[in-house]
Order: sequence, then C-alpha cells, then structure tokens
Amino acid sequence: MKTQGFLLSLICLFTGVQLLAQSGSISGKITDQGNGQPISLVTVKNIQTGETTTSGKSGLFRLNAGDKLPLVIEFSHLGFDTLRVSVDKDGLSIPLTINMIEKQTQLSEVEVFSDLKKSQYPVLHVGITPLERTPQQDIGKFLRSEPNVGGIRKGALGIDPVIRGFKYSQLNVQLNGGTKIEGGCPNRMDPATAHVDINDLKNIAIYKGPYALKYGPAFGGVLRLITSEPEFYETYQTKVSMIVGGQTNYKGFKSRIRVSGGNELLAYSFSANWNKYGDYKAGNGDVMQGASNTSMIKGQIGVQPLKGQKFFLSYDKSQGRNVDFPTLPMDERSDDTEIYDFNYLGTSFGTGINFIRANVYKSDVHHIMDNKLRPFSDTVVAISDITATNTGGRIAINFNLGKSVIEAGSSYESITKDGNRFKTMIMQPNMPTFTEELWNNALINNLGFFAEYQATSSKIDWVASVRLDFNQANSDPMVRYAPTGDPVFLDADTKSNYTNFSFSGGMTWHINKFNKFGIALGKGVRSPDMTERFITLLPVGYDNYDYVGNPKLKPEENHEIEFDWGYQHSRWGNLQAGIFFSFVTNYISAVMVPPSEIKPQTKGVLGVKRFINVDKAYLTGFEFVYSTPEKLKWDASLTAAYTTGINPEATHYIIENGQVTGEETIKNDPLPEIPPLEATVSFNYHLMKRRLSPGVKVRVVAEQNQISKAYYETSTPGFTTVEFMLAYTYSKNLKVYGGISNLFNTNYYEHLNRRIVGSSAPYLEPGRVCYLNLIISL
Amino acid sequence: MKLIIKTLSIVTLLILFGACNDLTQKKVTYKATGAVSEFTLQYQNANNELITVNVTPESAADVWKFDLMAEEGEIVYLSGKYNDIYSGLLLQILIDGKVYKQGSSRYDTIKYLTVSGTIPYN
Repeated sequence: MKTQGFLLSLICLFTGVQLLAQSGSISGKITDQGNGQPISLVTVKNIQTGETTTSGKSGLFRLNAGDKLPLVIEFSHLGFDTLRVSVDKDGLSIPLTINMIEKQTQLSEVEVFSDLKKSQYPVLHVGITPLERTPQQDIGKFLRSEPNVGGIRKGALGIDPVIRGFKYSQLNVQLNGGTKIEGGCPNRMDPATAHVDINDLKNIAIYKGPYALKYGPAFGGVLRLITSEPEFYETYQTKVSMIVGGQTNYKGFKSRIRVSGGNELLAYSFSANWNKYGDYKAGNGDVMQGASNTSMIKGQIGVQPLKGQKFFLSYDKSQGRNVDFPTLPMDERSDDTEIYDFNYLGTSFGTGINFIRANVYKSDVHHIMDNKLRPFSDTVVAISDITATNTGGRIAINFNLGKSVIEAGSSYESITKDGNRFKTMIMQPNMPTFTEELWNNALINNLGFFAEYQATSSKIDWVASVRLDFNQANSDPMVRYAPTGDPVFLDADTKSNYTNFSFSGGMTWHINKFNKFGIALGKGVRSPDMTERFITLLPVGYDNYDYVGNPKLKPEENHEIEFDWGYQHSRWGNLQAGIFFSFVTNYISAVMVPPSEIKPQTKGVLGVKRFINVDKAYLTGFEFVYSTPEKLKWDASLTAAYTTGINPEATHYIIENGQVTGEETIKNDPLPEIPPLEATVSFNYHLMKRRLSPGVKVRVVAEQNQISKAYYETSTPGFTTVEFMLAYTYSKNLKVYGGISNLFNTNYYEHLNRRIVGSSAPYLEPGRVCYLNLIISL
Repeated sequence: MKLIIKTLSIVTLLILFGACNDLTQKKVTYKATGAVSEFTLQYQNANNELITVNVTPESAADVWKFDLMAEEGEIVYLSGKYNDIYSGLLLQILIDGKVYKQGSSRYDTIKYLTVSGTIPYN
C-alpha cells in the first residue's frame, strides 16, 4: 500500500500537481482524475503529526502543516487509490491540487470496502489503458500477452484462455458480480470470453490458482471481466464516450458509443458496439481465414434510493455473424446472446457490515454453426443449432471485525444445454435430412457456500477461505442413431451428485520496507463439465477422435502451493517473482473405447475416446515481472513465465495407415496444450509531459518441445515479434493509440493454435498489422 | 478541436448504423435443357420446400427455367431424371447470372442427375 501510494504520488506529480502553501497550514482541492469532479469525505492525514481531516463537498481541505519538512500528506478514500504527496518548503506557498485515481475494480467488494487492498492471493489486474490501446478484437487474444496466460486459438474469435496450463472449465470465467455464460458450441468456438466485447471492459482480474473461492469453484484460476457500470453524480450529468479503431492487413474496424449519466438517485448507460474484420495475411503471405462480424447493444439502469443502497439492472444483447473457424469442422454462422443481470450493493449498515452484494442473472446463448465453407458440404450440409443457458445468483456479506474481515455467502448456477445437428444429403434424391442430438436436455446445478477471512497486521497479512459445493447433473439419454435408425450408442444412466469441499490459505510477510514474501496453498475441486459428462460422439478433443462423455466422472481436485517474493523500491523499481506447484488428482483425461463397443461416427477420425479420471498429474512453473520506477522519463518492463505439466502414466495409441493398431504406456508424458517459455520486454519513452509516449515491445517465445505423445501433439518453433506503439493524449477529450504489431512481418504461430481442419498446416498468426484507435470522451 | 471530435463522433455513429445494413440476397436460377422427351425435376424453392415437376420439351434446345431469391448460405438443389434411353439432361444452377454448379448425363435412365450446394458467402 505504502509503495503504491508513493508511486501514485509520483504519477500525480508527473500529471501536474500544483503546490501552494500558507503559513502554518496546508490546503488544497481534491478531484477525481477521471472526470474532474471534486471528491468529498477524503481522509487527509499529516503523516508526521498524525493529524487528520476530511475534505468537504467541494473537495476542499485544510490541515496544520507542523514543523517537519518535507511534509508527507496521505489522501485516502474507499473508492480511490490511496495517495501520498511529499511537500517541501517551496511547496507550502501554493494550494495543492490533488487528482485521485478511481480504484480499478469499482464496487469490487473487499478491495474497496475493507481497506485490505492487496490480495494475499496471486492476482493480476489489467486496467483500462491497455484494453483501450490494444488492436486485438478478442479478450482471449489480448490475455495471451499476460505472463503465464495463453489461449487456444481455433478461429477468428473465441480464443480460450489457458492460465498456468489450466483451461476450459478448469477456469472460472465470470462477468462483473458473478454472471456466467455457457457457450453453445461443443468444440468451444464460443467460450464465455467470446460473448463479451473487449471494448466494453474497464478491468480484468486474473486470480491464479485455486485460492479465490468466494467467486465460485476455483480449480485453476478465476478470470473476472469487469465492465463499466452507470455512475451516480451529485448533480445531473451526461457523458458520451466513443471508440473507433481500424487496422490494415487484418483489415477491419471496431466502434463503440456509450452514453451515460445520472444524478444522486438515478444512473443510466446505453452502449452499442460493432466490430468487423476480414481475412488476413500471415508473415509468409498466406491468406488465413479470420473474418468476423460482431455487434452488441447494452442498457443499464441504476437506482440509489438511499445513500449506500444501489440497485442495477442491465440487459445485454450481442450477436456474431459469419465468424471463421478454419481449424474446426464448422464455422459460426450466427450467435445471439442475451444477458439479463440484476445487481445490488449496500454499504450503509453501520460499522459491523462493510457491504452486502447480491447478483441475479440469466445468460441465454443461441448458437448456430455449419460446415458450408468446408469441402465436405458438397455432399452433406450439416447445421448445428444449440441453445445454452446459465441462470444463477450470488449473495455475499462482508463483516467488519476491526483489523480483519469475514466475507460469507452463497452462489448458485444452473446450466442447461439442448441442441441438434441437422445433416442434409444434398446429392441424394429427395435430399434426405437426418437429425442428431448433440445435447439432450442436459442440466448441471451447482449450489455453493463460501467464507473468506482476511486479517492484517504491521508485518503479516493473512487470508483463509473455505467453500462447499453441491453439484447435481442429469440429461435425457445420451443416444446416437445410425442413418438406418439403429442406435450406435446409448447411455441412459446420466445422473450424478457430488459434494465438493475446497479450501485455501495464504499469508504475506512484509519483511521490510522493500521486501515481502508470500505463500499460498489451496485445494480446489471442480465437478466435470457438460462436455466431459454428456458429449455424444463428436470430435471435441485436441486429437482426432470422437469423444463420448462419462456421467460418472469424479470431480477433479487441484492441490496447489506457491511462493512469491516481491521487491519494491522507488529508485530500483518493482520486482515480483513466484513459483508454483500443482498436484491434480482425479485428473480428467480420456481413453480409447474398442470399436466393438462404440463405432466412430465422424468421417476420418481414428476411433472413439471416453472421458475418464486418471490418478494424478502435475503442473509446475514460474512467473517473473520487473518494472522500472515510474518517476523516470522512460519506463521499461520485463516479464517471463513458464509452465510444464506431466501425466505420470499416459496411453499412446499406435497409428498405422490411419488405423489404431496397438497401444503403449508412456511414462511422464507432458500434458497437452501448454504454452512454452516466453519473455516480453517493453520500453516506453515519455515526451511532452507524458502526452506523447512512443514505445516498443519485444516478445520472445521459445520452441515448445514439451509435447504430449498421447495426444499426438507436435512441437512448435520459437519466434520473436516486435511491436511499435504510440500513445498520444491530445486533450482530455481525445486519446490516440496506434502502432505496428509484428513489425518485421515474422511468420509464426502459437503453440496453442490448432491446425487447419483436415490438414497438419498450422493456423498462422497475422503478419504486419498497422492499427489506430481513437478514444473520445465528451 | 471541436470539429475533429464532431467528425469522429459522426464517423463512429455511421459505422454503428452500418451494422444494420445486412443485404445478402442473391438471385438463383435453375436451368434444365438437353432432353428430347419428358423428364422429372425436383428443386428447392425459396421456402425451402422440395417441388417436383414433370417437363415435356419439344426439342433438346428447350430450356426449363426457375428463378428465386435466396440468402447466402442457403441450400440450392436441382435434381432430374428421364426415362427415355435416347434422351439426356443438362442441369445448371446460376447465382446472379453466373454458373455456380452444373452437371449433365446422356442415355442414363437409372441414376438421378443432381446439382446442389450452398450459396457462397462473400
């Protein structure tokens, strides 16, 4: 907290703190850096004398200066980052103008309301600036630049996040207060992140590991996507903000307009987005399919009948059209998603309760895919039509116990999926059509109860969490018929019930002014997801097999421990380094089913695999982040991260002439789809009082040779890309971000990019792309 | 400055309004010719119904034709069969006047001649 406050004070000084003084006292005005509005009820403390005061309605304050110079004044407020300003003898002659920065996770519970701002768990916050700067049109693609975060890429959008080697439902992805979205595609072309527009985000919080249990079952990590909420103002105000961006090569544009406003009682916001991109050229000149067309409208209304009692209602409708997925058997033809969301936040309950937060939501995804751009559609046109819903809610009460807080509550979600695939034989007389059930009224309910305790002292901060989940699932019989009408697969025993207990604990030891040491450990348990339980003969895995679900799978358990060391120095910069080790039991994998038991139903696959639990798997890795002090005219950072995973005993099926001819046991087979070692170095130089900042970012990714033989994974060559960036603040109304990504037109692909369907050719990343984003605020 | 911001605002709004413009209809033409005697055709119309018609040409130069409007991605289907061993058939599907699929047969009264596909996306 102290160091962050000091850094913020440096930022404040860079952005133009004006100083003044009066004999024997110091005064000034405190405003919100984001909107220029005065901030009342800011606690202003003279660190030397301990004397405090609070700012008035107009943001004005006055405080005795004392005798010691330089003065150190601390400004603190629940909704803003704490700021420390040093005032020397000369500074006493002019009034202070203090610009405070709103906390990035507004209304984000403990971070705001308990004053225990620093999480004892490993958490990575991504603020709005990098989100505004990025040319990326997909959240998953954007996240790939964060340390130890990768993304499985199958098409233009919907890159599926991978955090420390954990992926799919091993990660808990949620929106704002806990809203969850269930994608429709069995091949995950539309994971939860695909249903949220990156331009709508103001913050992303990545909680690594099975620790942040209050946000739901946390197995490998929690990804919280925070969008802008309507704001209440003392007097009525209207704000308009716009984003318009375009780029070459991966030709396309993004656009967004948001109108918001309100007064003390009411707040509203309405926004509309449209993004459209075409195919692109890779570094070697090959044209890659990558077109997409997405749009969204959103409306939010907030009511504050009493100070500290806020209610928000929002409706979000997004759609995707003709999104290319060249690595999958189908493309997204249309996706229509609606999200209904109700949020309550109460903060005025006296000293015993910091806040109560409640959230009720429903997300409804209607997803249609087809194979019309695949050669196979010359004879069979296949269309899949799927509806997926996620309905749920969460309530949390945060109790104030003096130097500690307890947050307790409950969350519930109900996931349903239903849908068919229609196959039309367009070269046969009478054009016969066959219907196959992809999901057959599948249902998963999860009711959870959680409690988290946080305590702080001068040397050590503690945290401990527990979570109990009751998980229940069922489906109509899983069945697949042959064109003749005979069943080729039937499993009617689809019910399962699990009770999962998870816990975590952590502490941070503030060794001295500069060093701190953290340790966290936890056990996160997750029940199997829809695909693992109920998928019926579809090629949904990394390898070329049809998969069948297993309703009797046991929950997967992740036991993780990690150690972190942090060093913060105003002169030498900030350094964070950590290592983790994860021991997964009941790891969900798959084994081949003999053809005599189930025959594959997809043309060209090698056989059928069924999901099973294997005893154990291990993952381990490290993260390293260094950044220079911000007081310099330039800044630089270095990040590096690596994860490796091992399955101690895997089965490899031997293929000869397209047929499985045998099997062998592989000892210590690497887990599939884990990103290789990578490092990023960035450098920015600040000109014109930081209004103009050119920069360069170099990303070096090592060759990935840790590949799974059991999943027929192939190694990936290393690569280096260079990005040139330029940020220019013309005025408070207009910011310009531009740059050239992949400056040297390197031909490359990420290890987690899938192969073009029907071939072994990689799905290459874009070559050189010039981009420009304009951010307008009125 | 105000002019720049106004201009950019209008550009943003125009782009967003552009999202509403989604005209992707194509003119599809089914053609059948080359038969010297009665033949049966089956085709998919604009309502996605399969229609069967019997056609009796006066000569091999006669052309049977049917037009419809269809969206990108929709299935187009034309299938024909003749019973006269001395006859033949040429079937074509045109999209916006250009041949998209075609097929022909002669002296084959056993198999259906079928041309089909989906209207390509731009």
